[in-house]
Amino acid sequence: MSGTATSARGPRGGGLRALMLWLAAGLLLAVWAFPVLWGLLTSFKTERDVLAYPPKVLFEPTLDNYREVIFGASSILPNLWSSMIVSTSATVLTMLFAVPAAYALARLRYPAKRTSGFYVLATQMLPPVGLIIPYYLVLQKIGGLDTYSGMTAIYLTFSLPFAIWLMVSYFEDIPQEMEEAALLDRAGRLRTLWYVILPQVRGGIAVTTIFVFLNAWNEFLFAVVLGGNNVRPVTVAMFNFISVEQTQWARLAAGAMLAMAPVILIGLAAQRHIVKGLTVGAVKGGGRR
Amino acid sequence: MTSVGKVRIEGVVKRHGSFTALHGLDLEIEPGEFFALLGPSGSGKTTTLRILAGLEEVDGGRVLIDGVDVTHNQPGERDVAMVFQSYALYPHMTVSENIAFPLKMIGTPAAEIVAAVRDAATRVDIAHLLARRPGQLSGGQQQRCALARAIVRKPRLFLLDEPLSNLDAKLRLETRAELRKLQRSLGVTTVYVTHDQEEAMTVADRMAVFMEGRMVQIGRPKDIFREPANITVAGFIGTPPMNLLAAEMADGQVRLHGASLPVNSAPGVARPVVLGVRPADLRITASGIPARVEFIEDLGDNVIINFDVGGQRVKARSEQHPELSEGQTVHLTFDPRAAHLFDPDSGSRLAPALPAASSPEAAIATPGRTSR
Repeated sequence: MSGTATSARGPRGGGLRALMLWLAAGLLLAVWAFPVLWGLLTSFKTERDVLAYPPKVLFEPTLDNYREVIFGASSILPNLWSSMIVSTSATVLTMLFAVPAAYALARLRYPAKRTSGFYVLATQMLPPVGLIIPYYLVLQKIGGLDTYSGMTAIYLTFSLPFAIWLMVSYFEDIPQEMEEAALLDRAGRLRTLWYVILPQVRGGIAVTTIFVFLNAWNEFLFAVVLGGNNVRPVTVAMFNFISVEQTQWARLAAGAMLAMAPVILIGLAAQRHIVKGLTVGAVKGGGRR
Repeated sequence: MTSVGKVRIEGVVKRHGSFTALHGLDLEIEPGEFFALLGPSGSGKTTTLRILAGLEEVDGGRVLIDGVDVTHNQPGERDVAMVFQSYALYPHMTVSENIAFPLKMIGTPAAEIVAAVRDAATRVDIAHLLARRPGQLSGGQQQRCALARAIVRKPRLFLLDEPLSNLDAKLRLETRAELRKLQRSLGVTTVYVTHDQEEAMTVADRMAVFMEGRMVQIGRPKDIFREPANITVAGFIGTPPMNLLAAEMADGQVRLHGASLPVNSAPGVARPVVLGVRPADLRITASGIPARVEFIEDLGDNVIINFDVGGQRVKARSEQHPELSEGQTVHLTFDPRAAHLFDPDSGSRLAPALPAASSPEAAIATPGRTSR
């Protein structure tokens, strides 16, 4: 997709322009990639090599760090599992509620539609740190601290509005007439949603699901305060490699690499879903507008 | 001819907030008829169609299909099919799946669906495109696909909302004729919305002209063309539409720009009128209304001559006139029977032109319709 776009633009822009673009892209990529690469290298170093000054570019790689964070006393496997449970349940529940809710916001006429739409957006404007103490107190009251259900519920409070807000725009892209055609074809409201609308927002559902999952997976602030020994996601577990006496950089890096793996895998797998454009051309002029 | 598909609209009112889209519409459409709703945008024609489809609620009145009150029925319960202006094809389904969709929704057995889809696609000449997706079709093919989806389940009513407006001019002419043929062969009552009077004239058995939320005239296209009920209809129908000129009327003559011409009209007191003459009814003669040639639009086989008559623009459509040149002054006349007179205040047609010299039989033979 992007390949054709580049080659179509190339001849017009000329060689110099293309070169500049490549340079800019390369620079941005380097800024993003350097810490990750550094982390990757660090994860194969001994603690002594990590702290060596000047930094060692050539060193003898070791798998000790991985052995430790996977099988050792400070194994993060339970924490990865914990992250997986919280993220997956938050994502599934979010999507289950967000899709119909977004459809309703996009389509149905009901009183206070504007108000509820604004409310959804307003929840995104609150700085999360301001909510930690109220959430803590609420969870404490209902016995939800350090439980999967409690943590999932808290994640829903910000992922649900976000997912709804994202999905609404996908639903609004579908012409009203498409739905009216389905109603005339006797599909009814629910079958119209199932057969006509949802297939057209597949891309949007995929993108939203990924965002929601990644947000939950990467979440640290709520997890560190509201979790505990029982529910300790990997982000919190990694934090434990940093202590007052010592920071175990190499292990921290190895843990980070493991925590990043699912994120990168999901990103690669979902790449093609993010390409929208299935609906182009179905409604006249749709492709040109 | 089929006996289902009779439509009756009784006193239908539709408001959008403070705007009234339809002010109490009464309309009857006969089974098997090709009926056009014609009018400029915002006149209420599309609203009427959507009310028939059940996509809009009414604020008053009733809608009956085959004698059954369907005013509050859901769109799916009315057994009507619609072709949308945008076609509204389902982009994620193939042509075949698109056409099959209405049948699938009513639980038709798979084997029957395949046959019906093939039949419908063949009728509109897209049987070779069944495996494609709408995005891979041309505009004309998309339009046919939408038509096939509408005819596949043999509804009792077809609703077409400006189905040709997205096609290019040549394709529009072809499709227009094919649409007419298709409707004849299916015999299904068809309600067709268009703002193009020529389209309505050529395809419709009868048509209703809408202006500002009211139906101002209903009848056969021919009759509406011959006898527009008021100034707005007169100014809307015809290519180019009727010339409408402010004039004086007295003793069976109209006075206009210093000239007097006889018209067929009941004698009456002197009064101002609006004189309507179709461009094709104007003749260039030695005496008559003085008119200066402003410019000539050459259409090839004939021309449209734009005149200035005392500051008013007048168009005449005629054969080639090689002797005319721009700026020249000539004289215009018309057959007294070709004059249409309207009331300048109400806009409505004045006592229709009397039948041509002593033919009372003709007048009796077509009651309610005055022959020229």
